[in-house]
Amino acid sequence: MAPTDSENSPIVVIGFGPVAARLVDSLLPAVRSGALSLTVIGDEPHPAYNRVLVADLGVGRTTAADIALADRDELEAAGVVLRLGVCVRRVDRARQLVHLSDGSAVQYGRLVFATGARPVVPNLARLNPDPQLPIRLPAGVITLRNLDDAATLHRAVQGRRRVVILGGGILGLEAALAAADEGARVTVVHHGPHTLGRSIDANAGKVLAAALRARGIRVAANSRSTGVLLGQHDGGAPASGAGPDGAAVPNSGTGLDGGTGLDGGAGSGSGTGPDSAILPDGGTGPDGGTGVPASFSALELDDGTTIDGDLLVLSCGVRARTEVAAGAGLATGRGILVDHGLQAHHDPQVFAMGDCAEVRCLDEQCADCRGSTGPSGLIGPGWRQAEWLARVLLAGVLPPGAQPSGAQPSGAQPAGPPAALAPEQPPVIVLKARGVDVAAAGNVAAEPFDEPAEGADPGHTAGTLQAAPPLNVSTWADPEHGQYLKMATRAGVLEGFVSVGMPRAGAELVLLFERGSELPADRSELLRLDAAGMPAAAGGAPDGTVCRCAGVDRQTIAAAVVGGCGTVAEVSAATRAGTGCGGCHGEVRALIEQHFQPAPA
Amino acid sequence: MTLTVGTGPATSGAAPGPSTSNVSPGPATHAAATHAATTHAATPEIASRDFPTNRGGLCRKGWTSAALLGHPERLTSPLIRNENGELSPASWDTALDLVAARLKATREQHGPDAVGVFGGGGLTNEKAYQLGKFARVALGTSRIDYNGRFCMASAAAAGNRAFGVDRGLPFPMEDLDSAHTILLLGSNVAETMPPFVQHLQGARNSGGLVVVDPRRTATADFTADGAGLHLQPVPATDLPLLLGLAHIVIHEGLADKEYLASRTSGYAGVVRSVAPWWPEHTSRITGVPVTLLRETARLLAAGTRNGGTYILSGRGVEQHVDGTDTATAAINLALLLGLPGSAHSGYGTLTGQGNGQGGREHGQKADQLPGYRKITDPAARAHVARVWGIPEAAIPGPGLPAVELLASLGQPGGVRAFLVHGANPAVSAPDSARVAAGLRALDLLVVCDFFLSETAALADVVLPVLQWAEEDGTVTNLEGRVLRRRAAVSPPSGARSELWIMAELARRLGSPGTFSPDPEQVFTELRAASAGGLADYSGIDYPLLDSGEAAYWPFPAGSTGTPRLFRERFAHPDGRAVLVPVSPASAGSGPGSGLLGHDAGTRDPLFAGATLALATGRLLEHYQTGAQTRRVPELAAARPNARLLIHPATAAARGIADGGPVAVANMRGEVRCTAEFSTAMRLDTVFLPFHFPGLQSANLVTSSATDPVSGMPEFKTSAVTVAPVSAPTPAGGPRHGAD
Repeated sequence: MAPTDSENSPIVVIGFGPVAARLVDSLLPAVRSGALSLTVIGDEPHPAYNRVLVADLGVGRTTAADIALADRDELEAAGVVLRLGVCVRRVDRARQLVHLSDGSAVQYGRLVFATGARPVVPNLARLNPDPQLPIRLPAGVITLRNLDDAATLHRAVQGRRRVVILGGGILGLEAALAAADEGARVTVVHHGPHTLGRSIDANAGKVLAAALRARGIRVAANSRSTGVLLGQHDGGAPASGAGPDGAAVPNSGTGLDGGTGLDGGAGSGSGTGPDSAILPDGGTGPDGGTGVPASFSALELDDGTTIDGDLLVLSCGVRARTEVAAGAGLATGRGILVDHGLQAHHDPQVFAMGDCAEVRCLDEQCADCRGSTGPSGLIGPGWRQAEWLARVLLAGVLPPGAQPSGAQPSGAQPAGPPAALAPEQPPVIVLKARGVDVAAAGNVAAEPFDEPAEGADPGHTAGTLQAAPPLNVSTWADPEHGQYLKMATRAGVLEGFVSVGMPRAGAELVLLFERGSELPADRSELLRLDAAGMPAAAGGAPDGTVCRCAGVDRQTIAAAVVGGCGTVAEVSAATRAGTGCGGCHGEVRALIEQHFQPAPA
Repeated sequence: MTLTVGTGPATSGAAPGPSTSNVSPGPATHAAATHAATTHAATPEIASRDFPTNRGGLCRKGWTSAALLGHPERLTSPLIRNENGELSPASWDTALDLVAARLKATREQHGPDAVGVFGGGGLTNEKAYQLGKFARVALGTSRIDYNGRFCMASAAAAGNRAFGVDRGLPFPMEDLDSAHTILLLGSNVAETMPPFVQHLQGARNSGGLVVVDPRRTATADFTADGAGLHLQPVPATDLPLLLGLAHIVIHEGLADKEYLASRTSGYAGVVRSVAPWWPEHTSRITGVPVTLLRETARLLAAGTRNGGTYILSGRGVEQHVDGTDTATAAINLALLLGLPGSAHSGYGTLTGQGNGQGGREHGQKADQLPGYRKITDPAARAHVARVWGIPEAAIPGPGLPAVELLASLGQPGGVRAFLVHGANPAVSAPDSARVAAGLRALDLLVVCDFFLSETAALADVVLPVLQWAEEDGTVTNLEGRVLRRRAAVSPPSGARSELWIMAELARRLGSPGTFSPDPEQVFTELRAASAGGLADYSGIDYPLLDSGEAAYWPFPAGSTGTPRLFRERFAHPDGRAVLVPVSPASAGSGPGSGLLGHDAGTRDPLFAGATLALATGRLLEHYQTGAQTRRVPELAAARPNARLLIHPATAAARGIADGGPVAVANMRGEVRCTAEFSTAMRLDTVFLPFHFPGLQSANLVTSSATDPVSGMPEFKTSAVTVAPVSAPTPAGGPRHGAD
């Protein structure tokens, strides 16, 4: 349905993370021109920053200024109203009001949830003694999602301290590799036989484990942790930032605190809810009250052993922040439920995008929604949603002259609603690490000589009798050199792949998987991409050409030499060989020398 | 007789004086000097001479350029289409009277903007200047643009935006010799400008040559054996690649903060705009491994401390719907590293056509007046009106960029009479079948050329003109250095200078102002018109050039010119360079932040189903539409027809044989040619040269979508299907019998 009365009514965005920042960027020209009114509410005191890079920030590889995605002054100068450092208490959909933690309320015409996700805090002894209460992380325990977490990690890395990463997922590994590279002593503790358990197969896991060990990272596989041990640190604990730091933690006041945070740093998964959920304000939480807070000293495992450390980084996945939406009566599942137009169920004025949104429409027969597994946790889909939603919000609003920079004023029309948002492809993971190349996607469980599963073929569509083509698997393994590749294809198109230690092949496979393109029948073409010496460029000069520039072949030069040319200059004068770029002088010289060499006795 | 090569003073003792000339319309680095002979002998010979840009080097096109002079297919008489629809010879008076009468009638019936003019980047400065003036003053039309819109427009727009001025290389080419790192973006100089390759040797020796090209070209091969890196991105992902490199420069602390603070503005905005382009994300979009991205950024930064770093862009990254933004991203990267205006570093763009630089400075462009002035600037208009001796109000406003101009041919309210100078849009323009239909729909098409090009073959009147060694004038090379061209041989009788043609038509049209047929007089007027503009030529004259002086603009009267721009300040009023944040369009929408369904800026959706990305480009043996080089026997024999480069695995999946006939098709048209296997291609990309006409014309399938800032068409990326065909290729001749 076309927006009518809501066209010029205010847009309110809850959350100011990377996905919200993309939406704001896209709406900015219309705000600047006065065609739109826009308010952005964020519970962190800073404008959006690239949460994906928080681990890099935590190991000192970048600065907070360089990961900024928005500038407060620029946005305010354009007319955007920023409400930062406040939480949303509740949304009154009947009156179209957003009530904030500071007691004020904001009227909306259209409301966008970009509240992101928050990290899952596992149930560990002494981490959260009272399950009825919001979680307060002890000193020396962090999730890695905001600037304060990064600062805490940075102190640990600078002090070359012992960092324990709980979780063998992609974000945990990225943090582990970065911290180890920058000098921390790192242990990764994870379930299952190998890291990235949900994304790569066992062989890839072995190659990856070797790469981790080579970088000095201890890996505790098949480990179930049961609790944390807290002790009084002998000073210099890196953990102070992890305490309930009132300055950094907004005052929420209620358990229904702001779902206002950051839409998720999806790719980083550390991009999760604000600490305010985990570290509620002192008003309601039990205030430890013990004076000097105890700090993390070790992780307890179920076999009774412990892993000592100075800092524990929890990297155990994320969960969508849906409390405010749920409190407003919106349907939620793994996220706020939206249709394919990102519109909340039964409320055309409310939208959700990014890590807090689950696309599942009201049509129970919808094929696209049948396999929904909730928010992807990746940044790419969130950004695509933000760009698309901006076009929806701008439909019919944008007057000529308010185009984004670069567009020509002439011939600009108010934009119509965009074509439907394409459903997201299955996620691809690319490990963000220096010198360890891992990319994977899809189903990588199948092995080369597996028997085809009877009747359970996922390629078999209901109502058709035609059997789907078989799943074929090709692999390449060279553990000594840290290389492993698996490609699972159906009719030549990838259903899954994993690539370790093969950067070029991995990069191409990502593209081929995302496009659904057919692989070359000769799969070794992909292996060759990582070959050390690439063959000379083909498609250039015909065989035997010595001088490409002038198009002179070996025979002509040899004839000139026979005819009396004894120097490169003479050959050039006679044949023009070597008169362009000069790159063939060596070869011409060799031909001359060859001719004048004494014949073998 | 002998024509010597190089663009410095002639060294041949037989010459009565120093003489220089430029091979038209090949790249200005192929500059050839003429041994001043005045008789029209049999085919003259080309000889080598040292000059800083090419060091005496020439490629095959230069060596064989004399074959064009006395070519049997030269046009030697005006041609008028007769009642049988054939072009038949006519006298100059008859032809010019007819053209003038038809132009007048069109103007009276449909208004001045019903007459259009299309120029070329191969025209001398004098002709380019006079053509712009002729359009505005004698024809009173705003509808003038030129084929440079198809090559330099994006780089020019980006340069103006960032630096306040656009000069291909703001430094002499020799400066490159001592560089440690050179990043070459989308430029296959080994084939398109071979003598230039000598200037890459220093960077190769230090392992610092980085070539970005989806094809492993001959130039990319120069990076082998430790000479540097080849980055082979997915077609149309140059902009993300450059944003990713900028991200690494910023986040690895490689940016020159002091330079950014003192010499630029806009840094913070660029930091925010590249924050989303961390290496792994960039790699996912471009297919370039993260390690190569990081190595590239570090090489770029290392160069600044060891002899210098240069970033050079070519058509490969510029001929896109986001070409201006891509060139801007390259400039941003250069500014982050502190290159432009530094002693041994810089950014530049490699100009293509014979006068690609000068041709874009003096008024052939729809939005421009001489001296690189804006036609919308009241002060510029007043100045030029004074020089032209007409009221300011008589100068029309901005016209239409080339693609829009060509799209208006024969359309209601569009151009009905069209004059073409030094261009062959029937082959060179994107979506060429539509352009050819537009050319056929005109009331009057007049083409000035020295061969019967594919465009001339559609004309109502063809006027034979002079070529490189037959005329006096100046051209400006890619360094902004003004070079003299001298008449060395007599033209065929019957051919005339375009300056003379414009003067004759202006007289017949009763035009105000003066139109001299004498190049030196026109140059004198150009100097006055350019005075005070960005491209100020007022201090340059023919005697100065004849003395061998290296004259780089801006060269205001009383100065000694400017070999190196930006040493003290950039050309913006505050003296600072501007970093302009750019970002890629989201899929299926226009450039910018992708808010508008701006059809003009929409690139084909790529890689849907079995479609491949088609890139078009040049071969060593030809330039432009091949209208000249295909007539040189040696070049035609080496490259007689179009061959589609395709990876063997990609071909195998389609049942295509090496050397077999293929159809390259999309909704716009179909090209027929032969396949040539090449492992230098990406699996998802094919390459086709654009030098061939008819069914082999690459532009039958290119899109007329354009960059919203520069008007540059999307030449470099079209979605196509490729399939074997059983019929022989058109050039293969009819097949006899069954096999």
